[in-house]
Amino acid sequence: MKNSRGVPAWRAAATLLIFLAVSPFGVAAQQNQIPAGDTSDPVLRALRTELARSKAQLKMDNVDSPFYIEYRVFDVEQFDASAAFGALRDQNRTRLRLIRAVVRLGDYKLDSFFNAGQGVSDILPLDNDELAIRHQVWLATDQAYKRASEAFSNKKAMLKQLNIDQPVDDFAKADPVVSIGSLAKLDVEPAKWTKMLESATSVYRNDPQIQSFTASLNFTAISQYFVNTEGTVTRHGSAHYQLVLSGSEQARDGMRLERSPQFTANHIEELPTPDEFQKDALKLIEDMKTLREAPVGDEEYRGPVLFSNDASTDMFFDLIVPNVLGRRPAPGRPARTVGAFASSWKARVLPDFISVVDDPTVDTFARHGLGGSYKVDDEGVPAAPVTVVDKGTLVNYLIGRVPIRDFPVSNGHGRASGSGNTAPAPGNLFFRASKTSTREELKKQLLDECRNRGLKYGYFVDTLGPRLAPRMLYRVWADDGREELVRGAVFNELDIRALRSDLVAAGDDPLVSNRTGLPFMTIVSPSVLFDELEVKRADNTNEKLPDYPAPALTAGR
Amino acid sequence: MNRFRLSIPFFFIAIFAASGILAWSAPPADKGQGVLLSTMQAELERAKTSLAKSDPAPYFISYEVYDQHNLTVAGTYGTIVTSAMGNHRWADVTMRVGTSAMDNTHNENRDSGISSGALPLADDRDAIARTLWELTDREYRRAAPAYAKVVTNNSVEAAEEDKSPDFSQEATQAYVEAPRAPIAFNQKEWEEKVRKYSALFRKYPEIYSSTVTLQIEQTTSYFVSSEGSKVETPGLIARLVVEANTRADDGMDLVRVETFESTKPDGLPSENEVTAKEEKMASDLKALREAPLAEPFDGPALLSGRAAAVFFHEVLGHRLEGHRQRGDTEGQTFTKKVNQQVLPAFLSVYDDPTLGTINGVPLSGTYSHDDEGVPSQRVPLIQDGILKNFLMSRMPITNFSKSNGHGRHQAGFMPTGRQGNLIVQSTKTVKDSDMRAQLIEEVKKQGKPYGLYFEDVQGGFTLTTRELPQAFQVLPVIVWRVYPDGRPDQLVRGVDIVGTPLASLNRILLTGDKTEVFNGICGAESGSVPVSASAPAMLFSEMEVQKRSASRERPPILPPPGFEASSRSSTPTSQSGGAR
Repeated sequence: MKNSRGVPAWRAAATLLIFLAVSPFGVAAQQNQIPAGDTSDPVLRALRTELARSKAQLKMDNVDSPFYIEYRVFDVEQFDASAAFGALRDQNRTRLRLIRAVVRLGDYKLDSFFNAGQGVSDILPLDNDELAIRHQVWLATDQAYKRASEAFSNKKAMLKQLNIDQPVDDFAKADPVVSIGSLAKLDVEPAKWTKMLESATSVYRNDPQIQSFTASLNFTAISQYFVNTEGTVTRHGSAHYQLVLSGSEQARDGMRLERSPQFTANHIEELPTPDEFQKDALKLIEDMKTLREAPVGDEEYRGPVLFSNDASTDMFFDLIVPNVLGRRPAPGRPARTVGAFASSWKARVLPDFISVVDDPTVDTFARHGLGGSYKVDDEGVPAAPVTVVDKGTLVNYLIGRVPIRDFPVSNGHGRASGSGNTAPAPGNLFFRASKTSTREELKKQLLDECRNRGLKYGYFVDTLGPRLAPRMLYRVWADDGREELVRGAVFNELDIRALRSDLVAAGDDPLVSNRTGLPFMTIVSPSVLFDELEVKRADNTNEKLPDYPAPALTAGR
Repeated sequence: MNRFRLSIPFFFIAIFAASGILAWSAPPADKGQGVLLSTMQAELERAKTSLAKSDPAPYFISYEVYDQHNLTVAGTYGTIVTSAMGNHRWADVTMRVGTSAMDNTHNENRDSGISSGALPLADDRDAIARTLWELTDREYRRAAPAYAKVVTNNSVEAAEEDKSPDFSQEATQAYVEAPRAPIAFNQKEWEEKVRKYSALFRKYPEIYSSTVTLQIEQTTSYFVSSEGSKVETPGLIARLVVEANTRADDGMDLVRVETFESTKPDGLPSENEVTAKEEKMASDLKALREAPLAEPFDGPALLSGRAAAVFFHEVLGHRLEGHRQRGDTEGQTFTKKVNQQVLPAFLSVYDDPTLGTINGVPLSGTYSHDDEGVPSQRVPLIQDGILKNFLMSRMPITNFSKSNGHGRHQAGFMPTGRQGNLIVQSTKTVKDSDMRAQLIEEVKKQGKPYGLYFEDVQGGFTLTTRELPQAFQVLPVIVWRVYPDGRPDQLVRGVDIVGTPLASLNRILLTGDKTEVFNGICGAESGSVPVSASAPAMLFSEMEVQKRSASRERPPILPPPGFEASSRSSTPTSQSGGAR
């Protein structure tokens, strides 16, 4: 609560906003063409002026001059709104410009990037007043330099206590890049969208048992600038649009049931139209009614499970993404990286018919816009396709400019989530199968497997919720192939071992899933079949039902 | 831990600074309030009747809705960093399960009494009713198990010292103040003003960071309770906060903050008045940078009216909050001192939220009804040095069974006894102009080398719990050494007033004759609330000060952009830094 000295609290609050509020969203903005190499951009001019001045002059007594300085600017424009029960509850339009200044002392081998020495964030003026922008950049640089100096001493002292066998450089060299793209601007008509949210949520009137029914949107346009003392200058804009419907209810036994379908795109035209959104809302109400009345899953099941392409994108995101990032372990730790695949380089991590490639350089897939596209990453390194898993074998980690053992240079995956540090993250991660089946063939395979094992039914999971808990899960009966919705069942050991050993087939139906949150990324993956997974009854206590009914509706609106 | 802080309100502003609404159109005024209030009443009635059959049943439910329109514009260095306009509706559902003698809010379970959420902005009866039902259901799910816990604890633990009930009986209120039409914010005009005000510091290279924040907030509060109360109160606060920072060569951060407030949208001071204050801030900071560091000191001190007001807010005000007199964790400095002398006999203290201004200065802690729907009233706390009363919410304490209209909170928090407008009065006064002479006399009498004059403060905080020392701290910004030998006063920096409450209060020798006001935002367990404290200047026979802890981070190494040429000769690769 040191809000009355030093950094004004509103700055802290504004920074916080970006970390919190920028997280959930989706698709495309209008782009203003600005010719490449143009020097009239006041933000770029201010950054370059201060960069040159700091590089030439920044020096404290008994402290080295920096060997490297970078500035990253996030100019974020957001529109978000939410409605519940047919009425708008809030709408906000915000714009913030934030800077991250990183100053490194030492050299590429051993530098000051450690603890508080990892950079300073501050807010920048929204007005294009070059001197005022420079003023904030100057303050951030000064603070970053001082912190780097202290962090460097601490780091060197700490390293003396450790015995490091295979030293890896602290910072990878990278070639300078100049890439000036267009800025992003949010160009939306709020009334149209808020009306759409109100209209969609008014369908709660169709079902008195729905306890909560909301719709929200988050539209974000981000213009990013990056300059460093190596000569890299980049600027680019991107936009993301997201719509979310969500409903919550209780079954008669008190079981809490939730759904939250999302639509995320980087072109506003790819969002549902008001008519489509209305239909989605009606469908959600219908589904939730069916779900509420569905039987509870059996206590135990061990057998084949078919994942829809939608469920598979969530599953791969949770199980694969965190493990293929080249993240340096704590100093002195011998591991190559952190995550479950730290010692799996050149080892099999998926079945041999699956390959995984990250390709931020493509914009679309089957005419769907890909949210995780970029030309240059947030550390100024050009993007390129990277094969992560080749025929089941892990061949690469996605990495930024912090090297790990055997991976001395960036492969263009240093990504930022707001004004914080960069970290490795995928762009567009494609899961590709060398042999594919149609959905019908997959279902047939599921049923054949059930019959072979004498099972009455197999499972088909259509959508997943948080922690990979199924939300729309169906029993597929072996005798006639009919699908029956069940509730209250979860997977027991859906993990990387199951992925490697029990995944037996993939569909021909890859789905584009633009993820919410920063940095923007996309998973593209098909339906998949596991020949064996455990499904058990969820170990949740049921809440009691409301003590009195929801208010009666008046005649209508 | 109860740590309370009185500060100038930019923290408060921070919460709203980054959120806002795109396009805000005024709802149809009379129809709107009608739908909202009548829906609240109908839904409350339904909750009351329906839940009466539950076990355990609530004996009290209230709904409080804040309908708010606001504009926030913040700038620095002649530019805007954020600008947002918005409207928000927020509902607090309060529920008490059990009996007024003992309910779910007992002791550490107090938070179980409230659930909050956003309410539809439009006057849609069904949507409002539905949301209130959701919140009420959620609140009952919290309150009922909490009550069970209270009952269990009560049967296994030793009897409490204060056996007062948990909730007081109060008269039903019906009060509807004429609604005010939503004001039209002129966002562009305010942005221009913020640019202009913040640009002033551009010419001072040593003021390396500064902010100007404007906030106008129009709030109508609607309160209905199962006891039948209905209170509707409109309010408006316009606030302009200017903050400027510098750093001394030894690394000490120095800050000046000026706050302007008004209850009228156009009531903020003129441009000339604001810029004159800004120039004073700049010259103060320049002087402070050069000022020597204060040494630890124990001797006579003169506090300006504003400094004395903050001192009383921290040292006395927080300790007279009613709920602090019960519970095992509180220090209870004054609990058993009712009808005893706690201050010199020439001092009286009261808290009066009904008062709008003092000497023409609007007071921040003014309200007609508190957040439990109880009318505000002037409460004499200390009469001629003798403790008479506490700041009471509806939580009774021994010998004080009723609220005196001081149950206050920030939306989302359970109300507790809080200060409104704390006012210190004195019968032993000298002319303000003679106070310095009185200080010098006291310095000579005690044979000290100098006395201290505290001209201005930025706030303070205090601790009232048992585990931690009963301490307080006031954060002065402009402090002078006053020498007895005719030398000019000397500005010093880095002083914090410290001490223990009872001892300090009895070292007041006399006061000035003019009351000064400190308006601020006070943070405690029931959230941040606007308050004021007013007092005359005071002479203390003894005041203890300590050195302020400070970073040793140097001033910026390079000169600020735009000032490179002037200092290039002295600081290109500066040894000790310091762009002057």
